[in-house]
Amino acid sequence: MTISVTGLSATRSGRTILHSTNMEITPGERVGLVGASGSGKSTLGHALVDTLRAQGQSVAHVPQSPDEALDPMRSMAFHWREAEGALDLPADNSRQQGLFSALQIEGGDLRKRPWGWSRGMQQRFVIAMALIGTPDLLVMDEPTSALDPVVAAGTMDLLDAYLPSRKTALLLITHDLGLAALRVKRLMVMEAGRIVEDAPTAQVLSAPRTQAAKALCAHRNWLELPC
Amino acid sequence: MIRLIATLFLRAAVVLAGAALATFALLWHAPGDPALAIALARYDAVVPSEVVDLVRTNAGLDAGFWKAFQAWIGPLLVGDFGKSAVTGRDVWPELLSAMSYTVPLALAGLLIGVSLSVPLALLATRHPGGWLDRCAVGVATIGAAIPAYWLGLLLILLFAVHLGWLPAMGARTPAHIILPALTLGLGVAASLTRILRSGILEARGQPFLPAFRRRGVAGRYIERDHVAPHAAIPVVTVFGLELALLLEGAVMVEVIFARPGLGSFLVNAIEARDFPKVQAVVILAALLFVSVNLLIDLIYRTLDPRIGEHDA
Amino acid sequence: MLSVDRVSVRRGANMVLEDVSLSLAPSRTLAVVGESGAGKSTVINAVLGLVPCASGQITWNNAPVGLSRPALVMQEPRGAFNPRMSLRLSVMEPVTARGRAIDQSRLDRLCNGLEIAPDVLDRRPTEVSIGQAQRAGILRALIAAPPLVLFDEPLSALDAVTQKHTARLIAQMQLEEGFAALIVTHDLGYAAAFADDIAVLRAGRIEEVTASKAFVEAPQSNYGQILRDAAFALGALERVA
Repeated sequence: MTISVTGLSATRSGRTILHSTNMEITPGERVGLVGASGSGKSTLGHALVDTLRAQGQSVAHVPQSPDEALDPMRSMAFHWREAEGALDLPADNSRQQGLFSALQIEGGDLRKRPWGWSRGMQQRFVIAMALIGTPDLLVMDEPTSALDPVVAAGTMDLLDAYLPSRKTALLLITHDLGLAALRVKRLMVMEAGRIVEDAPTAQVLSAPRTQAAKALCAHRNWLELPC
Repeated sequence: MIRLIATLFLRAAVVLAGAALATFALLWHAPGDPALAIALARYDAVVPSEVVDLVRTNAGLDAGFWKAFQAWIGPLLVGDFGKSAVTGRDVWPELLSAMSYTVPLALAGLLIGVSLSVPLALLATRHPGGWLDRCAVGVATIGAAIPAYWLGLLLILLFAVHLGWLPAMGARTPAHIILPALTLGLGVAASLTRILRSGILEARGQPFLPAFRRRGVAGRYIERDHVAPHAAIPVVTVFGLELALLLEGAVMVEVIFARPGLGSFLVNAIEARDFPKVQAVVILAALLFVSVNLLIDLIYRTLDPRIGEHDA
Repeated sequence: MLSVDRVSVRRGANMVLEDVSLSLAPSRTLAVVGESGAGKSTVINAVLGLVPCASGQITWNNAPVGLSRPALVMQEPRGAFNPRMSLRLSVMEPVTARGRAIDQSRLDRLCNGLEIAPDVLDRRPTEVSIGQAQRAGILRALIAAPPLVLFDEPLSALDAVTQKHTARLIAQMQLEEGFAALIVTHDLGYAAAFADDIAVLRAGRIEEVTASKAFVEAPQSNYGQILRDAAFALGALERVA
């Protein structure tokens, strides 16, 4: 189902941090939301998820760090059951096995609490939980920054393989155009609480129109920085 | 785990031994002649010095500090509190009868404290910063600042003197417990309300809760499964301390309301330098503190297994 | 010249560093890369003398490193400053704490080089952007003209554009000042672009030390290859066509 929202906005202590924003994402589409820190990317991600949820759309959100997604006093099994219950789904062992093998979650004892797992596995567990209900849209906020590169790269590859088969769209929020360029087909560039550019990835990379997009493109590659 | 429990018990034993030695030393070195004080209490009259010397010998006071300490601690280790230096009767039955007044008072105070503070804290945290919250915080702060002897006198003035609804002094009828228990309970309620409130608010501010909401977990389940356990940790700490301080509060309230119990037992024993009786109360109090602390430590570890992860 | 010679560091029964040897000449940059838990921070702590070496030794020009008064740039820009003090007071501490006077022309030159506006130093750490705070952290490290500067994940709190900008400022300051830079980072892109050599650390052992250009083309060790391929997969490095 195509995701469509209009008029997303947010204020914090009287200041507008997200100006009225519309967004449309087609089934299975892979979109990147890029911008400098403080440009309002995460705020937009939260507003999008909360609004879609309120509209009854099937959408899931994965925060930057597993610390923001898991209760340190509850077991992994508790989290999983709770997430199934929240979607009114009966416990289903094969669904869990399927997601665990798709994301290569292995060796973790579900009776343990999050801190008994490695951070990489915690993050994959959180992603697997987000996929329980086969959502139409998965929003990931800086999925790689809390993880070691090897684990992060592996996680992104597994998602790339899994999401298309379920027609789940991906909104990848990141400050790193290098990452987004490899992983998404369309880029939305944010600056000061607005989406200032929205175009296919190749087009943004080859011909950025706005100042924000130009800065991101110029600083995309470590080995080819402008003089 | 077994090593851990053994360590905890060992720690408790050290504390108890320290408390026993320290009070004995304090009492021993207090100014004035203990034998004279005991003799005065025993005969309730001025006594000749031969009698004082006699008392000194048969109370074991001439044997020196360590001998006297050994003579007292030895039987205690097998559960014998010894005999009163003044009356010569066993301390244990008298202590038991004093406690039969004090324990119900403490429990009643606790009951009042808990049944007032829990609903108050839940109401207050429904809208943090709202008028109800500010009232609750205000009342709790004032309540914690009012000393028990002043609150006790106010309650006596209102309910016993002006209204004449309740008895104030002594412990003749069950109704006599109401005012002392209320005095004790209001103080407990004040401090418990504050700690419950801040515990709940802090638990609600945890960084992972928004993710649970976005996952679709209903608010009441978030409160029950993710807020309450975290809020319980500081509450358990203070509750444990409160339980121990309750004894101290009860002793003071008993004196205000002229109730029999550990309060008068202790005051009389100190005046008469009745070593075995004073020591018995001190050991009892130390035992209570230590076992409550031990219990809290163990509850912590079940509530939040991260605590003490690196201990054993 | 910094010399880390067959150093091992023990924590309890575990070896956190095992037989680590590194060397670093003035004006040169060495990047130590690896995953969390590999012992990257322990390398820095050992060089600073904050953890004792179980064996081996670390020297600067054949003398204890401490004598050369090395400087450290930390990961968390704002957290590295006293929140009650203006940045100016914090930044000058390495000099004033030794009872010396601040060389105003040097301060001005460093501020200029690090693009720190004069009024930024009069604010507190919470009143400036993270990027500004980190540049002030670099200023504090450089103010007393240390021959050796240690960088512990200096860019990981910054966004991609600020990272690259800050990295370039560090490199320019190094050209002017000539200090030796030991950079601990998980970001191979940064290491490849700005370090002369890359040392790969895994579970407390050095897997390889390779010139950074050669590393991007062909890491010597299997693990180096895994790290480089992950950097490719995350867009931190681009494959040479």
